[in-house]
Amino acid sequence: MILQRYTRSALLYDDEKNYASQDNVGIYDGLQKSVNHPNGTISVTTHRLFYIDAAKPHSRSFCLDLSSVVRTEYYAGLFTSSPKATIYLSPEAPLAVATADEAGESWQCDVCDFRNPPGSSPTGAKCALCGVPRRKALSTSPTPPRAASAPPLSAPKEVACHTCTFLNHPALAQCEMCGTALPQAAPVASRGETPNTEGASDDGMMLRLSFRKGGDKALYATKATGQRTTPSTTERFGIDGLVRGVETSAQSAQLDMNEALKDLDALMVKAHEMVRLAGELNDRLTTVTELNRSSGAGAGEAEPETATFIRSSLVQLGLKMTDVSVTLDMARDEKEWYDQLARELAAVLQGTGGKTGRGMMGDRGIIPLDEVWGGWNRARGVALLTPSQFLQVLTHLPAHTDPIITERTFHASGLRVLHTATYTAPAFAARLQGRSLVSGSRTTLDIAQEEGVPMGLASEMVDEAEAQGVVCRDETEHGEVRWWLNVFHEYVWDGQQDAMAPAGEWDV
Amino acid sequence: MNFSAHRTTTGFLLPSIHSAPPFYTQQPNAATQAVFTEHWTRLLLAYARHRGLFVLRVEDAEVSAGGEWDEVLRNPRINRRVKPELLSHILDAMVGKSLAAYEPAGQTRAALLHWRLPEEWAEVLHEWATKTGQLNTILTFYEISDPPDPSALSGIPGALLRPAIAILAKSGRAQLISISDGDGVRFFPRSAK
Repeated sequence: MILQRYTRSALLYDDEKNYASQDNVGIYDGLQKSVNHPNGTISVTTHRLFYIDAAKPHSRSFCLDLSSVVRTEYYAGLFTSSPKATIYLSPEAPLAVATADEAGESWQCDVCDFRNPPGSSPTGAKCALCGVPRRKALSTSPTPPRAASAPPLSAPKEVACHTCTFLNHPALAQCEMCGTALPQAAPVASRGETPNTEGASDDGMMLRLSFRKGGDKALYATKATGQRTTPSTTERFGIDGLVRGVETSAQSAQLDMNEALKDLDALMVKAHEMVRLAGELNDRLTTVTELNRSSGAGAGEAEPETATFIRSSLVQLGLKMTDVSVTLDMARDEKEWYDQLARELAAVLQGTGGKTGRGMMGDRGIIPLDEVWGGWNRARGVALLTPSQFLQVLTHLPAHTDPIITERTFHASGLRVLHTATYTAPAFAARLQGRSLVSGSRTTLDIAQEEGVPMGLASEMVDEAEAQGVVCRDETEHGEVRWWLNVFHEYVWDGQQDAMAPAGEWDV
Repeated sequence: MNFSAHRTTTGFLLPSIHSAPPFYTQQPNAATQAVFTEHWTRLLLAYARHRGLFVLRVEDAEVSAGGEWDEVLRNPRINRRVKPELLSHILDAMVGKSLAAYEPAGQTRAALLHWRLPEEWAEVLHEWATKTGQLNTILTFYEISDPPDPSALSGIPGALLRPAIAILAKSGRAQLISISDGDGVRFFPRSAK
């Protein structure tokens, strides 16, 4: 499992200092006891965490970089289980593991090829000759055992110029040969994705130290400080940092939003319940008063005051009982739901008769669709309908309306209206023919006034009549348009007869 | 809505549709416009035949025209006139039906009206040549189109003469001759050949 990564030599670097050690520590690899590491000594240094096995120090020891530790947790321990410190590690790419002998061997500087003596830590090393710091982590050794990896990761990690394909040193910003700008491979590229992955893969990236003989607190404290002194993997500068900052803020905003919406959902549920209770209360009041009335011998008792008070306060709260909006959970399936919605809409449009006689359409025979949608949603108050649902309801509408209301779209402008039968195209044309245009021509304004509709609507309808050939237009000198009935398709020529005279009979 | 026919001062009978105001407006409805265009075409050709007019221009519909087409293109009684766009549309339709041809070619503002077929023109030509005793002599186009006595051929443009002469030439009754200041033609009696 995860321990296989970390078998290296236990030689300290030049700049590494040992903070604390503790013996009699067992290791849990993930959640299970690691068989190979039952008992040993844990040492925390400035850079690393060492485990040196008591029984077989050479083969069963390991160390890990403190920079790869993401989080630690502490568990104080009960009677039989010992205190434990849990270490969560970042899931580095496998290639991020430096070779086994990074610290214990002399290394070659990529810039000047000087062979540096061993003993420097992977992060803090500088070439003794040229002073260029050693490239951090990631690179495989000059003798790459992982030759099968992708070309950009061959050692040293050269950057291929995309113009001339010359392999440049990764530290360069421009290609040496042709000068084009090189894509900057982030020095900690593969490590750049590692933060923010906490939580998801904890189980695989977890290590536990079990302190069988105490000493946990001291070690834990020093480890915590030791972790902080090493350069952190999470870069907080550059584009990377900006991006990560934006991500974290977006995440926290998202979390806040979710919490707020949860509260809103709860409120809605409560409101629903309240409506239901109010309905029940109302029903019960009604039955009680009816009983009273039937039993009271012709006295015509008024409702008890309390009942009136309750009813009026219900009304004041806006919980009108007769107009409970239909929502999806009230109907068995979608189709029935649309049907019931259509019934509700019909009532809204035409009134329920009796008290609310006129409804939204009132005396008009035609009403635009957006007005209907807005008005209906306002009347509903809760569980508003989307436009697409509204359009589906409209298909069921003719079944519940009287006189029948249908929907219509004008082609020229796309205006959609609900209308009764008086405003269908043939009916309108018949009216034009019968009434208005027999006696001559009319302008659109005249027609609008006669029909009692707004000017724009009248012009739409007349345009439609023109498209069907019922009327034809006549433009005066001043640009005014008048409409005439189109009687010309049956016109018979009565002008100069112009038959071609047979040859020889014209006056030459 | 009763419209009535009207006789002009030159003796031409205008149809009743000419008194209908919508007749002078371009209709967006294609079917309606097709009906109107057809009637306009017939009217214009009849008038051209009546007056012996050969050329119709879009400019004749301009406000300040005052040309020979005014009796048709305007109707002062109902205060309407054909606008240039409508006339252009009608011309297009006529050219499409080969009742007119743009002359000179390549533009769309002036056209020759074919209120007579070239064959008919050929006959008219020959008749006239025979009647005025000008057979067997060489005539220039100018003499034909502008004779001292007005004839049915007065004002005929060369573009109409040529096809007519070609038809006559096929039956051996005329011969096209090129002379120095134009074109000439010689007519032969019918019975020849």
